Amino acid sequence: MLYFDHSATTPIHPDVLAKIQSVSQDHFGNPSSIHSSGRKSRAILESARRTIAESIHAESSEIVFTGSGTEANNAVLWSMAQREKRHVITSMVEHPAVLKVLQKLEPFGVTFTALSVDSHGLVDPKELEKAIQPDTGLISIMMVNNEVGTINPMASLVKVAQSKGIPFHSDTVQALGKTPLSAKAIHADYFSFSAHKLYGPKGVGFLFKRKGASLNPLILGGSQESNLRAGTENVPGIAGLAEAVRLATARLENRRNHLSELESIFKSEMATDNIDVVYNGHPDYRVPGVISASFQGQRSDILLAKLDRQGFAVSSGSACGSGSVEPSPVLAAMGISEAQNISTLRISFGRGNSSQEVKKLVSAISNIIHG
Amino acid sequence: MADPIIVGISGGVDSSVTALRLQQEGYDVECVFMKNWDGEDDSCTAEEDYKDALAVCDHLGLPLRSVNFAQNYWDNVFQYFIDEYATGRTPNPDVLCNREVKFKAFLDYAMELGAVKIATGHYAQIHETDGSFQLLKGLDPNKDQSYFLYLLGQDALSKSMFPIGEMEKTDVRKLAESSGLINHAKKDSTGVCFIGEQKFFKDFLKKYIPAQPGHIQTVDGAPCGEHDGLMYYTMGQRKGLGIGGGHGDKEAPWFVADKDLDNNILFVAQGHDHPALHHKYLVANQVHWIGGSPPASLDGIAAKIRYRQADQPCTITDLSSDQIHVKFEHKQFAVTPGQSIVFYAGDQCLGGAIIENRN
Repeated sequence: MLYFDHSATTPIHPDVLAKIQSVSQDHFGNPSSIHSSGRKSRAILESARRTIAESIHAESSEIVFTGSGTEANNAVLWSMAQREKRHVITSMVEHPAVLKVLQKLEPFGVTFTALSVDSHGLVDPKELEKAIQPDTGLISIMMVNNEVGTINPMASLVKVAQSKGIPFHSDTVQALGKTPLSAKAIHADYFSFSAHKLYGPKGVGFLFKRKGASLNPLILGGSQESNLRAGTENVPGIAGLAEAVRLATARLENRRNHLSELESIFKSEMATDNIDVVYNGHPDYRVPGVISASFQGQRSDILLAKLDRQGFAVSSGSACGSGSVEPSPVLAAMGISEAQNISTLRISFGRGNSSQEVKKLVSAISNIIHG
Repeated sequence: MADPIIVGISGGVDSSVTALRLQQEGYDVECVFMKNWDGEDDSCTAEEDYKDALAVCDHLGLPLRSVNFAQNYWDNVFQYFIDEYATGRTPNPDVLCNREVKFKAFLDYAMELGAVKIATGHYAQIHETDGSFQLLKGLDPNKDQSYFLYLLGQDALSKSMFPIGEMEKTDVRKLAESSGLINHAKKDSTGVCFIGEQKFFKDFLKKYIPAQPGHIQTVDGAPCGEHDGLMYYTMGQRKGLGIGGGHGDKEAPWFVADKDLDNNILFVAQGHDHPALHHKYLVANQVHWIGGSPPASLDGIAAKIRYRQADQPCTITDLSSDQIHVKFEHKQFAVTPGQSIVFYAGDQCLGGAIIENRN
């Protein structure tokens, strides 16, 4: 099977796997224990925290380990139920791990405004400013969109929030490892991260919480993570996460270059094969290697099935809904017609893909479309 | 990989074994789960069924996709179902679901996905002779479902497979169990799929059709109670009439014999053998022949006027139009307008029609 769905998840990096294996084998101690076995685990945990903090230019005390990026989002959003100002501003193209959570928070007095985006998927800082209400207590806007790869103007958005004194959260799950991300450069209060999107293990993530920003624990019953996340820490997973984050930042330029190269091969091969395609997302403000491609006159569910049958893994933003495909809400929010919407595949390259593989993918797509 | 057979999988044991058998025979098999009803009622078990289908497909290593035909089902099956009930008839939505959804919308979808054929877990068989396709009864006489498939045509049959049609139900369950399918003991679905159990039927119908209570009379004209609305009753129905002792002169049960829609009267007759409950003739319309045209010979044919009924010898006395006249050798109990009459020559299902009237 040839895998082109790295925005969904990534294969584990061998160095990360080696780290998880060695920690699992050699260090089973509970980091809360005071004996030597516990101390060793705690040292691994705190070393992982330092590695991650350094990678994103943060302080160690600003890193809270969680079970996933989704959990990190939830922790920030659920805290709103206990705030005085309970209005949240978000965008229409957020992941369900933000939008669905906000919907579920309505009975707890949390209201929200979802900002529209332009045809490239960008949130306009002026629109953000206009949407601010006296009781706005949080702004949550993703950095990189998971379907089209568009990068929001984070500095400008955060500036608007800061000028009004409103805490800013960003779901940065799709950003780390694909675009520079520094807590020094972007003065947001919270960032959510996940390990498995950057060649790390599943079931582990972390929240960056700037010093002084408030957070109510989502999971209670223990003093771990400075009372912010109860439960014995997933030490091997966290060690793997730290290694994955370290590699993602240390090798960022290499990885970006590789992805850009695969992308340009993909696009030039598509053009050579005369495939009628439209690329969605911003032409410049986007991460490399995430391609949202609409195939004129095709249906994504059919394309997906046929590619799957031939051993190619890609995905689409559309889901099974009424009829055979339900249009993707993200593409719909970008003003893309329904016909184009349901003809769209997301192809996301990764570090393991080769130009040869990309050529095979294009030729498979070409065969399906041209018959 | 070769072009696949696409199995319509429901999460039940029959369609699961359908996929299993095809896989065992060496076909490339893929599965599709159809969601045909968007209700949030408790009776709708779609979510649970999907989980079962997914567990089976994961166990067998088969891809599972899901497709939603709820709008199609609503427009082409449910609307008809409601319209028929509103006129006091007793429709059979499963017959229509097969024609409109499973062997049309699903079939088309599967072909778009690149299937060579579709397969379903129906107990029926398809035989081909010289490019013409015959629908035969399922091997298991207790489970034969050809009755529900009589509206299929040559095109649908040429693209369909019923791999368990030559199996006994008990063997289907045994095979499911020995192959480790988690649903090997799952209860068969009963009743109309979107309503669930029969006991919810009245409440369900009430949501869509206003009930008009009226009088109950014996077929001789004697008043004997009130009904809740003619749509709730079907010919030959015995339970739920609310006619206690004191009516009639013997201890025999009462049955629904007829409906007078214009005057909103429900007619009942006492005793299963009452002549008002039995008819030798019926008129049916919307005739469909599986072969595409009426069979060359109608000698020795038989019919079922309800699922699982034994074949009843009959003759078609007038075949000149879309409407047919049927004469049975023996009188038939509770001939029900709206239900289907399905014709057989031995084990071959020839086609059928919708019962319009009887006498």
